[in-house]
Amino acid sequence: MIPEGTRYHLPPEAAARLVLLERWRSLFNSWGYDPVELPALEGFDPGHPLAERAFKLVDKSGRVLALRSEFTTAVMRMVASERLQDRLYRFQYAGKLWLRDSEVGLGRMREFVQAGVEAVGASSPRLDAELLELAWEALRAAELPGARLEVGMPALVADLLAATGLEERQRARLRAAIERKNTPELAELLEASAVTGDVARAILALPDLYGGPEVLAAARRLPLGEAARRDLDWLDEVLNALPAELEVLLDLGLARAYDYYSGIHFRAYTPDFGLPLLGGGRYDGAAGVGAAGFALGLERVLEARGLPRELNAPDVLACDAETARSLRAQGLRVELAWTDDPDELRAYARARGIGRIVGPQGEVEP
Amino acid sequence: MSFAGFELTVALPKGRMMASAYRAFAAAGVELPAARGERDLWHGDGKLAVLELRGADVPTYVDLGIADVGVVGRDVLLEAGRNLYEPVDLGFGVCRLSLIRRPDDDAPIRRIASKYPRFTQAWLRRRGQVADVVKLHGNVELAALVGLADAVVDVVQTGSTLRAAGLVEVEVLARSSARLVVNPSALKLKRELIHPLIEKLRQVKIND
Repeated sequence: MIPEGTRYHLPPEAAARLVLLERWRSLFNSWGYDPVELPALEGFDPGHPLAERAFKLVDKSGRVLALRSEFTTAVMRMVASERLQDRLYRFQYAGKLWLRDSEVGLGRMREFVQAGVEAVGASSPRLDAELLELAWEALRAAELPGARLEVGMPALVADLLAATGLEERQRARLRAAIERKNTPELAELLEASAVTGDVARAILALPDLYGGPEVLAAARRLPLGEAARRDLDWLDEVLNALPAELEVLLDLGLARAYDYYSGIHFRAYTPDFGLPLLGGGRYDGAAGVGAAGFALGLERVLEARGLPRELNAPDVLACDAETARSLRAQGLRVELAWTDDPDELRAYARARGIGRIVGPQGEVEP
Repeated sequence: MSFAGFELTVALPKGRMMASAYRAFAAAGVELPAARGERDLWHGDGKLAVLELRGADVPTYVDLGIADVGVVGRDVLLEAGRNLYEPVDLGFGVCRLSLIRRPDDDAPIRRIASKYPRFTQAWLRRRGQVADVVKLHGNVELAALVGLADAVVDVVQTGSTLRAAGLVEVEVLARSSARLVVNPSALKLKRELIHPLIEKLRQVKIND
């Protein structure tokens, strides 16, 4: 029995997974993102954003290790320890991640694969727009035409909360209420902490600021401080740099997927599927430099798209090695017979879905 | 993955809260399809589908996007710990989650029985207290009476059940009422349906 939250990926599905990963790899490559490989074993760090949810192991020296639970932090550590801070680097990665969480559901595994990119060493609205467009291309490569990108600005939420002058512990409670769009609780918390006036009005408006471009205009009408206005200007620049056919959704109440987001944050949804397909954003300072990226969940994307049912059967079952070689040279997918018994070969070809059996004298009647 | 073919799928908890939810939606201008019979698991009328669930299952259905929206008590949400939007306090189903003990008992609490083990653990952690939490499925007060536990954490509405059992409510740990919960993806992709519903439900006042 394999552990809960892990899975065998059998032929039609395993092939579909590889096809998708290869499409993403080649797409990212064409945008200049170089592949990197990262160790799956990490030194355990209680400060890691997913520290509590990671699988832990004990090293031979007694040191605690963790199985990789997230790629962004891993890439940031690589950047810091390899001192890749001298220019802009574009990296792509793909691989397995593990989380201890027992809450296993549709498209939610304890062992799962993500593929993604990071642009490290610079910070600009144009780079944010590049990542959004690339994320959109990745969804198109996955044949999810109905998928929509949603962009938020956790920096705006953080700056508005900073303007309250409250302690971090109280701010965290406000942030959680904003994140859950829990307006009744948000109002109570603001009242209880004696936050009033313009700041309270702006914060209370955040949970409902989701939708199309009109949201940005509505946010502009709020009584905002200097920092919050700069956040909106940045977001404006990002949106203006997007291709016209890419219409993103906005949610200015997006507060925190991870604490390290410092600018935009984005995810993608597709109709009739309840979980985000990808997540990303900007986290300047995480490795001492500007950094942004996103990661796609392979299992989720495949679940949303529907798993392939058709077996990708070989074209030909060849009776001898010479025939097999020459048919393969023509670009066909060819399996070689292991016996001369024609009945056995016919039965196998039927079960495997192979349409043709070919010998040295040509086609064998099925 | 959502319940196929319907514009909006609503998850409701069986029982009293379900009737109040029907009235709240009606007051907001949304007539939910009526149950056809006792043994219906769901009912739909072309546009809307209603799933009748155990309360504790509502957050699961909404989180995974099978239902777009749901109605559920905040007590259940606190226990479920799922990532949902909860934009409306519907105001009915008011109750509180309380710590309950025998009246003469002030010994340190070493074991707590509850239908809300996650919530209870989290509360203990915040307090910096350590105690075993025993998950029970019903008649939780009995656990305190017969000494299965030193205290119980349970829902209190009027307190009459407690008083009848000879127990006391020592401390209110959380206040609860029915909430509208929304799947994040559904809120964004079905904004034109769900946003007006939220706006109207915020204006509605329904008593139990």
